Amino acid sequence: MRYITIALSKGRLTELSISLLEGAGLDCSELKENSRKLILTDEKNKVRFFLAKPADVPVYVEYGAADIGIVGKDTLLEEGRDLYEVLNLGFAKCRMCVAGPKELEGKMDSITITRVATKYPEIARTYFRHKRRESVEIIKLSGSVELAPLVGLSEVIVDLVETGRTLMENGLVVLDTIADISARMVVNRVSMKMENERITKLIDAIRKQLM
Amino acid sequence: MKRWSIYTPEGVQDILFDQCRIKRRLEAGLRKLFTSYGYMEMETPTIEFYDAFGGELGLMRQESMYKFCDAKGRLLVLRPDMTIPIARVVATKVKDESLPLKCCYIGNTFCFDELGGGRQNEFTQAGVEILGIRSPEADAEVIAMAVKAVKSCGLDKFQIEVGQVDFFKGIMEKSGLSADEVEEVREGIDRKDFVAVEQVMNKYRVSDELKALIMDLPRLFGNKDILSGISRDYIGGKASAALDYLQKVLDILEDRGLANYVSIDLGMVQSLNYYTGIVFRGYTYGVGFPILSGGRYDGLVSKYGKDCPATGFSMGINMIMMALERQNLAGNGNPGGILVTYEEGARKFADAYCEKAVEGGLIAELDIGMGGLEACLRYARAKGLDKVVLFRADGTSEEFERGKRL
Repeated sequence: MRYITIALSKGRLTELSISLLEGAGLDCSELKENSRKLILTDEKNKVRFFLAKPADVPVYVEYGAADIGIVGKDTLLEEGRDLYEVLNLGFAKCRMCVAGPKELEGKMDSITITRVATKYPEIARTYFRHKRRESVEIIKLSGSVELAPLVGLSEVIVDLVETGRTLMENGLVVLDTIADISARMVVNRVSMKMENERITKLIDAIRKQLM
Repeated sequence: MKRWSIYTPEGVQDILFDQCRIKRRLEAGLRKLFTSYGYMEMETPTIEFYDAFGGELGLMRQESMYKFCDAKGRLLVLRPDMTIPIARVVATKVKDESLPLKCCYIGNTFCFDELGGGRQNEFTQAGVEILGIRSPEADAEVIAMAVKAVKSCGLDKFQIEVGQVDFFKGIMEKSGLSADEVEEVREGIDRKDFVAVEQVMNKYRVSDELKALIMDLPRLFGNKDILSGISRDYIGGKASAALDYLQKVLDILEDRGLANYVSIDLGMVQSLNYYTGIVFRGYTYGVGFPILSGGRYDGLVSKYGKDCPATGFSMGINMIMMALERQNLAGNGNPGGILVTYEEGARKFADAYCEKAVEGGLIAELDIGMGGLEACLRYARAKGLDKVVLFRADGTSEEFERGKRL
């Protein structure tokens, strides 16, 4: 039997992903030992796992290097890969938002935004192009995006908002919600067909735990 | 300034000897296969007008095409697709009497593909088209050719998955959703994103039975039993006829002994741009992308001025090569050969031997380096030749065969 390969996002999604897979009957013990091995195996079920940076998970899955991936919807939207998005796992919930200084609240439609700072340039570009029909300058940052409007780098930001506390503490507010975000299970389009039975069984076993 | 002289642009590749040999062998096998079943080969230009693909026709996305200008300032493209030019040819150059037409092609296409994938920007496609017939027999015929084509390349673990665009279109008509709403549903089904489909369906007023079926569409793939599980009562005439048509195609493939290569996916709705009925894709292990795709495109030829039903498929040779490699089926394709060298005064003997070998169908080359026997043996080893033959002035010769003295 061929191995089914699962790519997991390193970071805040890892633990919950593992418990879902365990709940579906997979042996993740190797995955939980803090070893330096990059690829870990459940020999009984012929499943392999590896951890990757979240942004890389959809890439592995699109190319078929991994059959299945667990990754946040934010990464999927940003990467725009051609995948089957079979399950909303429901955890790691937050929102992708446009945020800015309190003065802009309720004025999104009357002002012209020229610069947007974000870690998610594609999501920001798509939102402003299609939903607002505006051409804006997207400034890609790597972290602490809230800083940008405070020091005059941009008028607004596009970022993930979980509780809104960081925004509030910096005098920023949510101006619009772009999308609801949570962890998703994705499957390569070819794997879904070539390994239909095994993958569908796994999807069903995980779906049962979500109900 | 950076000099680019030693690089190739993104997405294009040099295909060197072993690879090229494998590729030519595949192409030769496919050409033989297609022509043996009565398809006539044709060539269309590598360069075409932009208007044939983009612009008003809008068949291809503007940003996916390589563009440049001709001497009159008209916009040209490197052909991004093989089927569209054939539709143009059939509409403008083929007389009605010569329909139905079965044709085939092997050629390179060019496309920017941000999604990356094993897909290069320049890739070779081989395929067939049948123009002038709208019948389940014709659809089954192109699927049968697709199966034979994959097999002829040496792959045996693969699947051709058949969908039916008209079924989805029929259901959507019946549901009364607007074009934008249909697009939303289509995207969800295409991604097999149950949640998204459910969310969309809950927003709009659609009868319960139909809603349940639409929400089930991402799941409706696998073997053909799925078809019998669909109740025809509320799906409307168009969708029902679409299912009958699909069933006929599957029956024909069964009679032709190909049923075990074929499965169905009623949620295959990713390419509505020119497909109108039966659509299909081919998958195998080792490549995350389809190795071939095809389907019926009855509306395409009319865009160039003549109504003509059509169906066909095209296969990505580069994808097939990747699959063969990943499944360890490629081999290196090395044909071996003989190097004939000679001492002074023996050129005539060596040349005669070489000519005779080639006439006899072997691969033989006459030494031109004249660096001595050791150099010949090194060259032969590096190239993977089968033997070196050394001629002496008195006409005698000595052989050095692979594994023995080579």
